[in-house]
Amino acid sequence: MTPDQSPVIQLVDDDAAVRQALTLLIGTIGLRVQAWSDPTDFLAGMDHAAIGAIVLDVRMPGIGGLSVLEQLLANGVDQPVIMLTGHGTVDMCRRAFKAGAAEFLEKPVDDELLLETLQHAVRQHVRTRERRQADRVTRERFAQLSGREREVLAFIVEGLTNKQIGRALGLSPRTVEAHRAHLFEKLQAPSLAQLIRQYAALVDAGPGGAAA
Amino acid sequence: MLSRLRRHAFLAAGGLLVALAGSALLVASELGRQREAFDTQARIVHRLLSQRAAENDAVLATLALLQPSPAEHAIDRLQAIYPQLVAIQQRSAARDWTLPSLAIAEERSRTARRAVMADAQLAGGRYWLVQAAEPASFALRIDLAALAPGPEWPLRRDTGDTHVDLSLGDQRYVVQQAASAQGWGTRLAASKALAVESQPLVVTLSRRVTPAQWPWVWIALWWLGTGGFLAAFAAWRAQRRARARAEELLRLGQVGRLNALGELAAGLAHELNQPLTAVLANTQAAGRLLDDDPPDIVDARAAMSQAAQQARRASDVVRRLRRGLERTDPGAPQPVSLQDAVRSAFELLEPEFARRGVVPRFHAQAEVRVRAEPVALEQILHNLLMNALQALEQVPPGERSLWVALSQESGCGVLTVRDSGPGVPPELLPRLFEPFVSTRTGGLGLGLPLCESLASAMGGSIAAQPIPQRGASFRLTLPALP
Repeated sequence: MTPDQSPVIQLVDDDAAVRQALTLLIGTIGLRVQAWSDPTDFLAGMDHAAIGAIVLDVRMPGIGGLSVLEQLLANGVDQPVIMLTGHGTVDMCRRAFKAGAAEFLEKPVDDELLLETLQHAVRQHVRTRERRQADRVTRERFAQLSGREREVLAFIVEGLTNKQIGRALGLSPRTVEAHRAHLFEKLQAPSLAQLIRQYAALVDAGPGGAAA
Repeated sequence: MLSRLRRHAFLAAGGLLVALAGSALLVASELGRQREAFDTQARIVHRLLSQRAAENDAVLATLALLQPSPAEHAIDRLQAIYPQLVAIQQRSAARDWTLPSLAIAEERSRTARRAVMADAQLAGGRYWLVQAAEPASFALRIDLAALAPGPEWPLRRDTGDTHVDLSLGDQRYVVQQAASAQGWGTRLAASKALAVESQPLVVTLSRRVTPAQWPWVWIALWWLGTGGFLAAFAAWRAQRRARARAEELLRLGQVGRLNALGELAAGLAHELNQPLTAVLANTQAAGRLLDDDPPDIVDARAAMSQAAQQARRASDVVRRLRRGLERTDPGAPQPVSLQDAVRSAFELLEPEFARRGVVPRFHAQAEVRVRAEPVALEQILHNLLMNALQALEQVPPGERSLWVALSQESGCGVLTVRDSGPGVPPELLPRLFEPFVSTRTGGLGLGLPLCESLASAMGGSIAAQPIPQRGASFRLTLPALP
């Protein structure tokens, strides 16, 4: 993924007129649209890494929208899915949300509702991706720590002073001070508060966190 | 099918059990009756024989009292009166007994101070009875054959099935032989010594009640009755089941129609929603493009032309649907009796009437004959009656009335269906025959529009009539026969 890649909306509907109209409408707010007429082609051809959202028609020949949704989730796609239907029943709606749909809209859909939903979904997806990216960087840095440094970090997170840590580990406060300096450097933490916020969960996770 | 067979088997087995139990009861009661009659007969026989035996004692006592010596002719008279007396002997100083056993008996009689039996030969039906007295002792030779029967004998002698005998030790005299003693049956028996000290004979009656004597007529009637009841019950049950099945079919038919309608509606919604979605999205996109600065007129125009095209597509869907729903073969109108049509509709809806406790009233002065298509007429009637019934569900059972009236007015047959339901809200009245207008929650609002198009196809009309009282009234007019 490249951060500067612009979001793209995947539109899946078997009706050419609906594809044309919705592509045009979504285009008016500057979002790119990739339209698919066949759900199977879409499942095989879509870009999993792209930022954006998916608009799925519920009623399509071949596989229905709900089973496309299930397959997307099974394939680990994290883009929010918006279901579109001509005559939504309460039951169908419930099933869609249960299967993980982000939104359920009825056709014909009003422009403001659709565009707002899409913008919200895209923003949501961007945030999800950012959080995931940050998590990954944090874990990579944590993995660089030595065993002793991790022990020291655990005590720091608990709020112990250098003197107390030295006593607990049988080290001189000077040695603890050195470990502490290395640790701050490796984790690139600008402050103690930020260090604790980012790494407390990983320390608690113990060896599992270290293995990541 | 199997369960039905099993039900029949259960019913038959139950019936058989009831029939058998009833027969057993009848036989037992008959046997009880027979035993009672037998016991009465046994008592009579015992009393009669005891009386006759006592007569012998009385004769001897009389002879002893007529001492010194009764006249010869008196003895002859005795024999005439008492036919059981075969011979009379007397022992006096002048004449001794002819049999030595009589002398021994005389001695016994003297000690016992009463008459005693002597020289009993029961097989031959004879015995002596001896009474010691002074100066002369007397002896009677008794013939059992003459002793036993008489006009008051309670048993039929020749054809009776009761066996009677008298016994003394192991000697036995058969008073009466049973006409049909053999065969399997219930044995009745009674045995008692005669109530006369001098003649200790035991009278025994026995009788066999054979199956031939069972109350066969009653048993046959009982079986017939049970069978008849079972047949009636089975018929009633079969009828009830058939009716339940018919009701179920009717209900299924209604559900099926609703399902088909639901499918149609879903398909229609999809067919229309696709072009409508495109129309809406295109027009709204066009609006946005024109709002841009500078406005994108070229793209907006393209969007509008797309929208127009999709609007035409939607109207095509509607046209296609109407063509599909139009009846291809409306069927030729033919002479129909409105009376018959109403009656057949009542019959068809009878379960629906019964379920809601509604008894329809039918007013018709004279036969009204119209030109109509029978199936269409039936459909209209069915719809009007069902509407009325469903309206009546909203009022208490006591207030449910439904009238159907026929009349003839200036070349038209008029049929009116009126109910005492809540009626039609005035604001809905002008729109009642538009599709999808319904007073019922969940009603599709297609029944009355269908009725109207069917009626007008037959050259008639249908209208809702305002009525002063509560309720609704519908008036169907059809061209009458010339």
